[in-house]
Amino acid sequence: MRRPGVVAAACALALAAASSASAQIAARREGPRAGSWEAGGGVVWSGSFTGPRRTAELTENGESSGGFDLFTAIGEISSGAGLGVTLGYYLSRSLAVEAGLRFSKPRLSFRLTGDIEDAGAITADETLTRYVFTGSLVFHLRDTSQGRRLIPFVSGGAGYIRDLHEGAELVETGTEYHVTGGIKYWLGRGARRFGLRGEAGVSITDGGFEFRDGTRTLPVAAGSVVYVF
Amino acid sequence: MRRRVLLPMALVAAATALFVFAAPEAVSAYLKLGTRLQGRMATLRWSTFPIRYFVTNEGSAGVPATEFQAAVTRAFNTWNGVATANTSSQFAGFTQARPLADDGMVVIGYATRPDLERTLAATNFLIDVTDGRIVESDIFFNTIFPWSTSSAGETGRFDVESIALHEIGHLQGLGHSALGETEVRPGGRRVLGAEAVMFPIAFTAGSTADRRLRPDDIAGITDIYPRNNAESRRLGSISGKVTKNGTGVMGAHIVAFNTATSALVGGFTVNESGEFTIAGLEPGPHVLRVEPLDDGDIESFFDRSVTVDLSFGVRFHDRVVVVPRGGGTRDVEIKVSPK
Repeated sequence: MRRPGVVAAACALALAAASSASAQIAARREGPRAGSWEAGGGVVWSGSFTGPRRTAELTENGESSGGFDLFTAIGEISSGAGLGVTLGYYLSRSLAVEAGLRFSKPRLSFRLTGDIEDAGAITADETLTRYVFTGSLVFHLRDTSQGRRLIPFVSGGAGYIRDLHEGAELVETGTEYHVTGGIKYWLGRGARRFGLRGEAGVSITDGGFEFRDGTRTLPVAAGSVVYVF
Repeated sequence: MRRRVLLPMALVAAATALFVFAAPEAVSAYLKLGTRLQGRMATLRWSTFPIRYFVTNEGSAGVPATEFQAAVTRAFNTWNGVATANTSSQFAGFTQARPLADDGMVVIGYATRPDLERTLAATNFLIDVTDGRIVESDIFFNTIFPWSTSSAGETGRFDVESIALHEIGHLQGLGHSALGETEVRPGGRRVLGAEAVMFPIAFTAGSTADRRLRPDDIAGITDIYPRNNAESRRLGSISGKVTKNGTGVMGAHIVAFNTATSALVGGFTVNESGEFTIAGLEPGPHVLRVEPLDDGDIESFFDRSVTVDLSFGVRFHDRVVVVPRGGGTRDVEIKVSPK
């Protein structure tokens, strides 16, 4: 009469063990957990930005209060790719804090036209070197995950812009805010694994090099390889 | 230095024996008045402030001496108010002395000069030939022209304050700016537009537009008398040369356009190597435009002994030039093509 009892206890242990193993596998398949770190590096892209039309204007002689135009200049910061690195720390399975650095070299140009003495139209340019140091909160939407490898996320944060003009003799600084959304696709299994990350969103900048005071909103996108550990 | 209503093709002779022609300093941030001293070029400048000035106690038709003095004082105060420059002045009183007299006093007043039929006003100097220090400077306003001190200007009459602002610029050592456009008309040139009080040709009678200093004027006075403050120390400069077929261009006019503020500041190449410096610039990106001087107006800027190159085309520099805070961007080379 004691045997059934032993068998029952053994089954219960076995079930408990099986349940624990299953949970661990599931956790590994779902990716990072609280306490995990995530490092990434890849390519970033930022959209172009056109400045206002500026007129080199003389004070007009006579009754008119208008100006006498010498020429006009329209500035543009080109779109372009750069490099980005991130380091994140998971506060929970869904929420991570992340520090990042984006580096790019956009072209700053001015199209000069309409010269009063017919100087040929020309585009004068220089290359900016832009660093953006960022801090973000990243929220992973695990409930909507497909197959537990593909994890959507949204991210938002702020950053510090440091723009160096050519020759590095003039630095202009500013603030950046960003909101992005994207996906991470985890490769392989285990607590340490690689993944792919893609995201797109907007970057709102205030300061750094700017054609005029105020904020401007630019589209941004990034693709990177990430490693969780 | 004279301010003219319409510039004749051939300038009349210098006003007085004391007159010192504008001569470019070796590498000038602005066209400053200079004179050759012991084989080198020295900028004319005051060594002590305030500049104590007297006003002749004789008015002209429509403008009594007291109103004339008030307008002149406002003009001095406008220059003294430049935050990046260190100048000051003091009205010392009315006098019976006349401008242009070699009396050791700074005298500003009227003079009747029918022989200078295109000269509204003029400034002369007495300088110390050992160091270029200005010892005395007088300004006369030519009574053959109608004058006004009306706050809104008066049609057909030249504004005393506007012309005083220009002449006081000379009195302090500034030369002419070429930041303006003119058109040739029978009998002379007419200003279409100008962006410097120190442009040599006046606006039409009745205009009060030149009661206000422009960035070009401010850059010039700051270059001669920089104030030692944060606002002044943040300013920067652009220097380089203008070349044509590999050879320096003398007398080219370069304009720096601030792409953020739209401010225009001009400078000149002032030697055979085509070197220039434009100082007093706000930090940030600038575009540069180079042009030859108007061929009918060279002597407003350079001494007759200088051979100014006029045979090249207007063009923009193809690089954005960034002015650093408190420093200079050097070695900018602008290549122009023969006309």
